[in-house]
Amino acid sequence: MRNTIRFTGVGGQGVLLAGEIMAACKIKEGGEGLKTATYTSQVRGGATVVDITLDDGTIRYPYANEGEIDFMLSVANVSFHQFKNGVKPGGTIVVDPNLVQPTDEDRKKWVIHEIPIITIAKEEVGNVITQSVVALGITNTMTGVLPRQSLIDTMLSKVPAKVHAANIKAYDLGEKYAKEAMAK
Amino acid sequence: MAREVIGNGNELAAEAAIDAGAMFFSGYPITPSSEVMHVASDLLPEIGGKFIQMEDEIAGIAAALGASMTGVKSFTATSGPGISLKAEQIGLGFIAEVPLVIINVMRGGPSTGLPTRVSQADIGQAQYPTHGDYASITLCAGSLSECYTETVRGFNLAEKYMTPVFVLLDETIGHMHGKAILPDLEEVKASIVNRATFDGPIDEYKPYKVPMNKPAVINKMFQGYRHHVTGLHHGDEGFPTEDAVQCEFNIERLVGKINTVAKENDGLDDLPDYEEYMLEDAEVCIIAYGSIGLGAYEAVQKLRAEGIKAGMFRPIMLWPSPAKRIAEIGAKFKDKIFITELNMGQYTKEIERIIKRDDFTTLFKANGRPIAPAEMVAKVKEMM
Repeated sequence: MRNTIRFTGVGGQGVLLAGEIMAACKIKEGGEGLKTATYTSQVRGGATVVDITLDDGTIRYPYANEGEIDFMLSVANVSFHQFKNGVKPGGTIVVDPNLVQPTDEDRKKWVIHEIPIITIAKEEVGNVITQSVVALGITNTMTGVLPRQSLIDTMLSKVPAKVHAANIKAYDLGEKYAKEAMAK
Repeated sequence: MAREVIGNGNELAAEAAIDAGAMFFSGYPITPSSEVMHVASDLLPEIGGKFIQMEDEIAGIAAALGASMTGVKSFTATSGPGISLKAEQIGLGFIAEVPLVIINVMRGGPSTGLPTRVSQADIGQAQYPTHGDYASITLCAGSLSECYTETVRGFNLAEKYMTPVFVLLDETIGHMHGKAILPDLEEVKASIVNRATFDGPIDEYKPYKVPMNKPAVINKMFQGYRHHVTGLHHGDEGFPTEDAVQCEFNIERLVGKINTVAKENDGLDDLPDYEEYMLEDAEVCIIAYGSIGLGAYEAVQKLRAEGIKAGMFRPIMLWPSPAKRIAEIGAKFKDKIFITELNMGQYTKEIERIIKRDDFTTLFKANGRPIAPAEMVAKVKEMM
């Protein structure tokens, strides 16, 4: 069973780390996980895409095959439009509605949920840097690809101890908003 | 026991260097190779080694060569633009016979090109990085595990043949992050090759007085043995000479100690120079290397699922090339060979040279993007 997930944003938003956490968790669970990132040579602001492939068996080609992606999360309009076509028809896309404007066509082709990821991190968690962990909570709640506690433990092993509480809160908020979005 | 680790290719290459005995790194950071430096800067001080970020790429290799001349295993890491700057110093490494591992994580070129994007367009540069006659040893990692194993091998070949060795990664392999299975650390330590030394009387020490096709025997510095190091043609003790017989011998030996030895022994060591995947009963052969090989595995699987018997040949030692096996593949598959690489056909030229035909199906890409399995599948279907 293979799951492919794509995070898109702009350079500096921390989406790379979120991808590494998911891959590491899958490996810890006995499967294989690979993360690749494609970004531009701009230090900040260039379109960034992170592909995460999770499989119980062997993974060789590390990028998502275009049109086969199950789930995408996007926090930048330029990256959303540049990379959306990798998602399979009927696949799920989560966007931050303050930053990404999907077209009517997009809404027909994919299941698009709007969750204000950056605002949640900034105002509810109190630290914008936790946006990647809010995204992690949303992604895993919607896809169910990894065991919840194992993913949280992997995440905590990769962030400094002094921000553990904030990151747990970020994950929980991501989970809460994802459940609300799916219930709509 | 084999080790399961998580990391990216650059990190694994740096860890391999340490496990292979490296005690010195100098270089200058450049995307997409910088993580090699990051890890070297973490690990070398912990084991009593030295890490120096130099003022530029040229100084980066100059210091590493200097360290190696004293007898310390050294390495540097860069990308194509860095190799261009280091070119003159690499030549000094060839003629003075200085072991050095040069890791090149390839990005799009020429010049500054595409800094963050994947390419395999430095393989020709690795074969002939500098002016003059010499032979290059170039290894190309095709998986996370090989970023580790081929770097260890690079150190061993550098010491065995007294020469700079290129370990090529590409941006995809260098930056992809996942699981790698590494060999048992004790097995790695047991495989380590150290350069030969001369134990005789000091006044009989002549490091470059070696037979045809044999590497120089250069002792560590500061132990009483003295020799001269120069980029000029030199005689037995390293002092400059323009003697016609000596100069001819020097070049024949520099080329022969690698190319002739590889031809006579079918390689430079006992490790595999290539990998074959489902090639035995195949009707069509995909030739790919580095990260493009990763897509080729999946292309073979997809093609077989559709009833097309495909297989893959993946060179690991690019230079000197596994020519004997490539010739056999040419004889077996004839025109049913599909070569795909991230440049305009640099290795295709080598395959054409060996097989002596030029009617292969090819897929070249030089825009900084990877080649997807689906693109390979489509090309192979056109052939059938």
